[in-house]
Amino acid sequence: MNDDVLTDEQESLAATGDDERLAFRGPIQTVLTRPEIGAMLGVVAVWLLFWLVSGSFGTVGGTANYLDVAAILGIMAVPVALLMIGGEFDLSSGSMTGATAVLVVLLSKSVGPYGGAGLSLHIAVPLVFAFALLIGWFNGTMVEKTSLPSFIVTLGTFFILIGGKLGVAKLFTDKVIVEGLDEAAGYRFWNDLFGAVWLRNNHPWDGRDWAWAILLIVGGVGLLLSVFDLTFKHRRNRNVTALPILLAGTAIGVGGVIGLLTSEGTTSDVIFAVVVGVGVIDGVIGWCRWRYEPADHPAGEQSRRVLLLAGAGVVTVLAAITVAAVMDANNDNDLNFLGGSLGRVVFLAGVAAMGVLAILAVNGKVSQSTPAIGAAVSAVPAVSYLVTFQAARAILFVALSLAGLFLIAAAMRAAAARTAFAVSMLVPLMMVVLALFIRSEGDSRKIRVEVMSGILLAALALASMSVARFLSAPRSSAAAHSELGQWTRRAAIAGAAAFVISLIFEFGDFGPALLDAHAENGTAYTIVASVFKAGLVALGVYATGVIVRVFTTHDEGIGKALASVSIAALGLGLAAKLLFITTLEAEATQAVTRFRVSVLYYLVFAAIGAWMLVRTQFGSWTFAVGGNKEASRSVGVPAAHTKTTLFMLVSSAAFVTGMVIAFRLNSVQSNVGDGNEFRYIIVAVVGGCLLTGGYGSAAGAAIGALIWGMITQGIGFAGWNTDWRFLVLGFLLLVAVIVNNYVRGRAERVK
Amino acid sequence: MTETPFLELENISKYYGNIIALKGVTTNVSPGEVTCVLGDNGAGKSTFIKILAGVHQQSEGEFRLEGKSVMFDSPRDALGCGIATVYQDLAMVPLMSVWRNFFLGAEPKTGIWPFRVIDIPKAKRVAKEEMAKMGIDIRDTEQPVGTLSGGERQSVAIARAGYFGAKVLILDEPTSALGVKQSGVVLRRIVEARDRGLAVIFITHNPNHAYPVGDRFVILNRGASMGNFSKSEISQTELTQMMAGGAELEALQHELASAVGE
Repeated sequence: MNDDVLTDEQESLAATGDDERLAFRGPIQTVLTRPEIGAMLGVVAVWLLFWLVSGSFGTVGGTANYLDVAAILGIMAVPVALLMIGGEFDLSSGSMTGATAVLVVLLSKSVGPYGGAGLSLHIAVPLVFAFALLIGWFNGTMVEKTSLPSFIVTLGTFFILIGGKLGVAKLFTDKVIVEGLDEAAGYRFWNDLFGAVWLRNNHPWDGRDWAWAILLIVGGVGLLLSVFDLTFKHRRNRNVTALPILLAGTAIGVGGVIGLLTSEGTTSDVIFAVVVGVGVIDGVIGWCRWRYEPADHPAGEQSRRVLLLAGAGVVTVLAAITVAAVMDANNDNDLNFLGGSLGRVVFLAGVAAMGVLAILAVNGKVSQSTPAIGAAVSAVPAVSYLVTFQAARAILFVALSLAGLFLIAAAMRAAAARTAFAVSMLVPLMMVVLALFIRSEGDSRKIRVEVMSGILLAALALASMSVARFLSAPRSSAAAHSELGQWTRRAAIAGAAAFVISLIFEFGDFGPALLDAHAENGTAYTIVASVFKAGLVALGVYATGVIVRVFTTHDEGIGKALASVSIAALGLGLAAKLLFITTLEAEATQAVTRFRVSVLYYLVFAAIGAWMLVRTQFGSWTFAVGGNKEASRSVGVPAAHTKTTLFMLVSSAAFVTGMVIAFRLNSVQSNVGDGNEFRYIIVAVVGGCLLTGGYGSAAGAAIGALIWGMITQGIGFAGWNTDWRFLVLGFLLLVAVIVNNYVRGRAERVK
Repeated sequence: MTETPFLELENISKYYGNIIALKGVTTNVSPGEVTCVLGDNGAGKSTFIKILAGVHQQSEGEFRLEGKSVMFDSPRDALGCGIATVYQDLAMVPLMSVWRNFFLGAEPKTGIWPFRVIDIPKAKRVAKEEMAKMGIDIRDTEQPVGTLSGGERQSVAIARAGYFGAKVLILDEPTSALGVKQSGVVLRRIVEARDRGLAVIFITHNPNHAYPVGDRFVILNRGASMGNFSKSEISQTELTQMMAGGAELEALQHELASAVGE
């Protein structure tokens, strides 16, 4: 901490708007300092890993599979994260999910020997909810009244619930398993609510791929433009003469995309890909000329170092391609380049050297890290035994490619403005070269088409960024708040109206045009379909508002709204892809894909939790009671009330989870859910929560649940032995905590 | 002072069982005046402010607010009557941003009920403006309070108390953990708060800090009031002596002098 921060000069500064001591942070840097960044990067890494090694992980069926696991975990992880931010733990949360499930079955089971209370579910379910709230209230009140650590208090509740579940189940039914929920009165209604299943195979929609492509492109482009808008300095008056360039670029780009989507064959694909690239770059030029102050690039002097670095980068990338082309891709013998006896000698020599160096290091003759040399020497033959020729080729190719790209990036940082632009364009160029090579090389469709397209898209985005950065001057201050309240309201009203109209049509079975209704699919279908349509309508209205403001006003803060519209578009596009099947797909597959309604609860809990934490007073109080309880109490925060509410939120989520489990299985083992409390805590920590409270993210916890689901299911998909699962999860926890710690430290220093 | 004092304390005493924590303290607090409460460790300073802030209730004596006798049940009560306390630990949450800390417990809200949210733009703006009025230009209101320096944190606490309509500002040992320069900054804040018409109660064990800014001095020693003086009645040296129990300090001086003499 700086002791003489306050000088007279600084004190005399008036608080008007921007502050020259505050370096402007662009949108990308801002995202990088969020608590959930570790989890977000983790999702991407884990997804890519399993997508590459497994054939079915990336398919819709695989997605449904891991989403299911993530949902059951995530519904609980979000409120558990809130409670942890509020500075408390709830060890009874896991067994509470089972307790509500057991209780609902027992209450609704018919009366008689080995029977239950015989209540209608219309009475039983609300009763169980009240029970859950009571447990949460009890936990909260006990922690507050006794001032004991919540760890101990809820450990007590944990054992009470475990014992209670088992005892009551045995007492009533003489078994540790209670069953027969589906015979209870009112089953249909409650099953629609908690146990509904979306059978994707029943929902054909041939326009799906178009919707998916359009939403994806609109979302991707919008996201890119919003980053520009938040990064660059806006012109005082927009330059209207650049609009034709923007329009031409858009037209070329759209034409290229339509060409790509409708044509078949390699030649036309390449031609249309080039057209799309030209269109996007042209559009970016138009957009930047139209909106942003032109950059002023002083002619810097040419530096030898930049040329050397960039040259080395290009050579390294080319070397990667050469190595891959020269080495035999089908040779799966062990590498073993040292030969049998020489390898053994080198290995033993390395081990001996390590031992000698370790003794010297302990005695302070050489530095502590020297023994590593011995280890490295002995590792060479070990690796050569373990790694096949094929694998070595792949490792070399990837390592050299990445090294080349990093060298070019280093050159870019070292270069002066004009040269930096030229150098920065080398990165996407090299990526295109690599993508084309991968395409000619790959033997699976995944590598040939999908990896190549991914690399090409990333190259296009990078190139756009470089062009925009070259053309536009950077912003010096954060954007003011954008006034979009009117359009938010219109979007909300339109969305609500669409929802109601859709419900009427669905229940009335009038057969709407877009999605055909199936009365037998039940309430869940009706609600999901209506939510989807309402989302589309609301997004459309809001996007209209954003576009109107982009073109008619001088609003520098519109980038934020543009970013949210784009993310919503991407989300809806993904939902369309996941929820609906095309006739072609339906004919090709026999596999049935199910999405359970729990996924919907998971998303709703995550959204509400994140919103509540960041935007509402209750969220602020949650941070405060976890960060410094005495302080928050003395400024008037009702600390006890806040904490009790948090405990009750956890128990409400346990109720929802319990109902989902009960209606899914119909019979409930009394130990269901026991031990899951630590999973919730782990997931919350992976999502960026601090164990000591006062810091964290609800969205991060939801993402953490997704990572957990991906890993536990992905290991199965990859065909690995599932016994390794906990090992992987353990490492995940450690890595996540280290990354989060690093990010938090950085965030605080940057601020 | 001709106007009626805002707060009048008469023979305030506090007992914890058979322990006498505070006995017979009498003083007045008027707007635009700094009342310094001085005393060594264990003199009863904390008990005194806890009674003023509504954390504890006095066992004996009368506490009058604008002439009316009152008894606070909780810190919220005292706050409601315009008595704001800046505690030694500042009552700040270090991991939370400046604006969240500034408005903690009284967040400005907007929107209709289930969608009622904090008016974040307003909160940020007001926090920045209020800090500017204190003469502190905060760089970024999103900054966690934990990254501020001690003096800046103190200023956030004082600005917060002032913004929420405090008429009496109680500062508990604001300078004890600060360096020389930062203590100077905080003392200047005290004077500024006084000039804006607040009644300031400044608790300290450092007479060098109290004397320059104080208008009135209450000296506590071992739970008892050693007197209530206005600035004209007492010099800084006398103040120091009285605080340490006068005679005892003199005896110590003699002892030391003779020890050096030998």
